[in-house]
Amino acid sequence: MSELTEIGPFIASLSQGAQGNPAPTLDELMGELKIKRRPGFLRKFPSGVQTFLTNGKGVAGLIILTVFVVMAALAPLLSPFDPYRRAGKPHVQPGVEHFLGTSRQGKDIFSQLLEGGRTSLTVGFIAGISATLIGLGVGISAGYFGGKVDEVLTFFVNVALVLPALPLIIVLASFVEEASPTIIGLVLAFTGWGWSARTIRTQTLSIKSREFVLAAELMGEKKWRIIVREILPNMSSFVVGGAVLATIYGILAEAALEFIGLGSPSSVTWGTMLYWAQRSQSLQTGAWWEVWPPAVAIMVTGAALVLINFGVDEITSPQLRAARLSGRIKKFLKRRGRSVDVF
Amino acid sequence: MAFLARRLGFYFAAFMVAITLNFFLPRWMPGDPTTRIFMALRGKMRPDQMEMLKKAYGYDGSLLEQYGQYLWKLLHLDFGISTVNFPEPTSSLLFYAAGWTLFLVGVATFLSFGIGLVMGIYSAWHRGGFFDSVFTPINVMMNAFTPAVVALLLWYAFALEWAVFPLGRAHDINLVPGWNWESAVSISWHAVLPVLSIVLVNFGSWHLGMRNTMINLLNEDFVVLAKAKGLSDRRVRYRYVARNAILPQITSLALSVGFVFGGAFISEVVFNYPGLGKFTLNAIESRDYTFIQAQLTLLTCSVLIANLISDVLNVIFDPRLRTSGGH
Repeated sequence: MSELTEIGPFIASLSQGAQGNPAPTLDELMGELKIKRRPGFLRKFPSGVQTFLTNGKGVAGLIILTVFVVMAALAPLLSPFDPYRRAGKPHVQPGVEHFLGTSRQGKDIFSQLLEGGRTSLTVGFIAGISATLIGLGVGISAGYFGGKVDEVLTFFVNVALVLPALPLIIVLASFVEEASPTIIGLVLAFTGWGWSARTIRTQTLSIKSREFVLAAELMGEKKWRIIVREILPNMSSFVVGGAVLATIYGILAEAALEFIGLGSPSSVTWGTMLYWAQRSQSLQTGAWWEVWPPAVAIMVTGAALVLINFGVDEITSPQLRAARLSGRIKKFLKRRGRSVDVF
Repeated sequence: MAFLARRLGFYFAAFMVAITLNFFLPRWMPGDPTTRIFMALRGKMRPDQMEMLKKAYGYDGSLLEQYGQYLWKLLHLDFGISTVNFPEPTSSLLFYAAGWTLFLVGVATFLSFGIGLVMGIYSAWHRGGFFDSVFTPINVMMNAFTPAVVALLLWYAFALEWAVFPLGRAHDINLVPGWNWESAVSISWHAVLPVLSIVLVNFGSWHLGMRNTMINLLNEDFVVLAKAKGLSDRRVRYRYVARNAILPQITSLALSVGFVFGGAFISEVVFNYPGLGKFTLNAIESRDYTFIQAQLTLLTCSVLIANLISDVLNVIFDPRLRTSGGH
């Protein structure tokens, strides 16, 4: 009984607090937590896209990447000179005529940068998307069909994961005498699908055991229809995230292979631009403008894709989405003198 | 134990796939090594000499006989004769380069792992805070800066422009490396930039991996219970959350250690470091197939052994795997 008698003053103290300090309205709370309402036009998109678009990092990455893609697509219109031909004296400093200077061989760096972006981005995207598609096919079939199919496919996935990829690429690339960007992209796709196959298989296994898949099976849906209509839409963020990672890997690996001289030196990509800059010792002779443009281009593209991946990660894992706000919530609670231990 | 036995079976199968691939690759390519030597000597070779050469490289007899011979040699760690430095056995150069690579990439891998882990634990614990929202994206972005760019810029800044560190090589030219103070200083001084160039592009992925795994664990019931019991912050952070989050990281660490023998191609080329990456590249340029083959065999073995170690570690650290069949 004593507990009951003590509750009375407690409730009184609560209501007193409320009277002295009226409860803040929703808008005030949102203002204090620095949360904005989602703009109306966002409501038309699926919730995954909404999450992505409200994430500053992801949107910033997407904008940077779009600018690069547009510039690469318009390369023939924007470039003042032919990137494959001599356009002036060797190592002309950046200036009015040559916006970013010329290379040791007298080629215009700005035109080469645009043309190189065209090739590098195309190869990166093709490699990333094909690797994801292979991984998707293998992973979904292994996860959904199970049994013998799963055992055989998982064996190949494990072999692809265990076999050292980059050295294998180097050896494969060395077999074709001069590896063109297309060949490098294909080789990268055929060696880079292991990870996405594995994550997609695990994801398929967990979705397969849900009720809605069972319901579709009981209704007598065809297997391919269950895969395409029921399972695939529920892991689209995994697939997109995997594709972004594979594209980063594709762009970086292509540049790395060409930098160490395994590509075809006559093609123009960011990797071969670095290769020529290293070959012609432009850093030693002070021609920084031959190294920095492709270097910065690779760095910014990589950074943009990483930012996009942060955005996609938050769709995949709600815990990460909550982590974005938890710093503000902690401060908010501290200001009110509440315990922050629950976080 | 059934789990480990099954894994062991898989690794053996994967090993067979790898070395069989390794056996067929040079045989699919246009021109075997003997033909190349024959061409290099511009045909100044008698047919019987040619036969001897074929025998020395294991290209005589039926394909099955060749394969048997290849396996037998591999069992004795006999990697054959170098195609380019003709009478030299491949293994001497291979093991010399492997030593330097083991040092360079090994040190770099453990440094990146340690730095990434500490930063990951910190930023997961204070998630959404200043450090987490600023340095997590920056560190991961460095991961996408590609070693080519980072190594070149480091080399330009600290070896050429300010000349703080040497331009290349593993030690001073006129120093014979040995187990003494002088070599230790020279070798570590020469290793600073190459190691840095690898660490800078690698620690970000460890950071992100540890952070994300930890954040996903922070709301688990056992963590809430630990907090409710009033355990100290420190104890919950390290003994409860970090200990569980470290499991997948240890698996990846074992894998990266296995790939150490892949060499750091770019850092080794830029800093002229006598490691496996640089020599493999040389071998590719001069078409020294026996060296490439030997390097791939070494790499496959180390990767498979590392995988096996990671399985054993997982069984030790994760008691759940001991009872069930393991999934």
